[in-house]
Amino acid sequence: MAAEPPADELITVVIVDDHAAIAAGVRAWCSQAVPPIELIDAGDRLADAWTGPGAAADVVIFDLELVPRRPDFGELRRLVDSGRRVIVYSQHTDDATAIKCVDLGALAYLTKREGPEHLVPAIRAAARGEPYTAPSLSGALACDDAPGRPRLSQRETEVLRAWFVSSSKDLVAAKLNITVKTVDTYIARVRVKYANVGRAARTKSELVSRALDDGLITLAELNETSL
Amino acid sequence: MGDAAEEVTRTQLRRGLRIATSLVAMATVFGLGGSNILRHLEEYDSPLTQWAAFAALAAVLGGEALLIVRGRSWNRLRGPAIAVVLAASALSYVTLPDGRTSTGPDWIFGAANWAGLVVLLDRPLRSVALFLLAHELTALLNLLLLDDPSLPDMARFCTGSVTVIGFPLCVAVVASILSGLSARAAAAREEVERVRVSEAVAAESHRRRQQRFAELSVTTVPLLEGLADGSLRPEDPAVQRRCAIEAARMRRLFAEADTVANPLLHELRHCIDVADRKGVVVELDARGQWPEPPVAVRRDLTEAVLVALATAASHARVTVMGGAGLVSVSVVADCGEIDVPKPATPGVRVEALHNDDTVWMEAQWQPNRRLTS
Repeated sequence: MAAEPPADELITVVIVDDHAAIAAGVRAWCSQAVPPIELIDAGDRLADAWTGPGAAADVVIFDLELVPRRPDFGELRRLVDSGRRVIVYSQHTDDATAIKCVDLGALAYLTKREGPEHLVPAIRAAARGEPYTAPSLSGALACDDAPGRPRLSQRETEVLRAWFVSSSKDLVAAKLNITVKTVDTYIARVRVKYANVGRAARTKSELVSRALDDGLITLAELNETSL
Repeated sequence: MGDAAEEVTRTQLRRGLRIATSLVAMATVFGLGGSNILRHLEEYDSPLTQWAAFAALAAVLGGEALLIVRGRSWNRLRGPAIAVVLAASALSYVTLPDGRTSTGPDWIFGAANWAGLVVLLDRPLRSVALFLLAHELTALLNLLLLDDPSLPDMARFCTGSVTVIGFPLCVAVVASILSGLSARAAAAREEVERVRVSEAVAAESHRRRQQRFAELSVTTVPLLEGLADGSLRPEDPAVQRRCAIEAARMRRLFAEADTVANPLLHELRHCIDVADRKGVVVELDARGQWPEPPVAVRRDLTEAVLVALATAASHARVTVMGGAGLVSVSVVADCGEIDVPKPATPGVRVEALHNDDTVWMEAQWQPNRRLTS
């Protein structure tokens, strides 16, 4: 935790998205956020995320489909492999794409229907190197029946489902008779389990080791889930 | 049942005729033809050729016997079989001693006609007529070209032709009448079937219309009557809510008849459309795959959404999550206190959670449980 930017330091974000309206909207959300977040607009120029001010940004918001219907998983992998903290912001809503992004090491996957109430917390979480699970991703994880998926507990699946359905952690907490903090814990545990079975990446190994340090999950539990 | 019995009778009749004709043909070829060859064996220039023609006819009749046993028709082999018969006829005539046409040694004159008939028995009458004509012409050409016919020769030939053409033709006429009868019977039966189907369709659509009307009459009709006689005031929010619910129910009812890949989502979209027009922002999101629920279950699943959307003030989130063992439809909306609809089908459960102004209703259906209970 000590190496992470302090909470009061200004978070900088670079957005790679060819739609001017999206970049402008995200800029407005970032400037209205408390504390505000600084946004660098790279447009559709991926190079701006690698050089200049974009290269130093804490978080990269990446539009997966700069070329329509050709999701650029390769670029996502390169960003993650060079240690960048990436939020995928996509108009894609299919589960397979969402899970693939998580597997490649994106800290968050948001669909463009999900607005500032999810994007701003996602940016803050990503800046700390932590994952953020928006409702759409939560639904995809809950319905994931791929052979290599980690084994989730019944409670974890319930929380994922409820979060997807209600889009409100207060409601999830009320429905399942738990606190909002516990809701977050269950969701975080699911992400750790996914990070543990997925492709190795620096952001993900950080995630797993931090979860072990914090006692979010035990080594025995992790070994059990990876089948 | 009656149709089936008629069909069996006709099949048996046709099969009987075919067997009888084959037996006649075999008796004629093997009995008469064979004995004639044997009796006049020394008169032939080349007895081997006569035996070859005899073998050809025997092969065709053997084929027929095999097909009868297997209950099959000649189909694609019909053409080659007729060619074999006509070739045998031509072969026999070419090597027949001069002046012997339509006499004892001319065994093939009265044999090849029957062999051809068995092959063509289930074809239209004109096929048989054409074949008999070809056979007759072979004999006639032989008589005219290779012999020098006298008047008695011609007379003998004509007399012989009466039996050679006449008898097989009679059998062919009977067969053709029989098949004509069955074709007409089949056409009549199809017509009866068509009329029955259209009557059943009309009755079914009438029944469905009545059923739809009955479904609406419980809820929609009293509302309309109340509006008409002034007992319900349109400016009353409760009446407006009832109207919105009924409008959505009618939309759902109409959508139920559509043929679409995913009826549950299709009907949900129609329910949502009514709320959309009121200015409520509705998100619809679906995850997973699910088996298609029956109409009654779909109504139970969508009812909670429908009621919540009709009452929602500004926004709602509708989600469907499915798997093989559970289909769940949820709605979260800012609609304050509302009545939770009671499901009509046994496998469906509806739960509601009120949290301040927000209502979260979830309708779940477990396909397997319904089957076991």
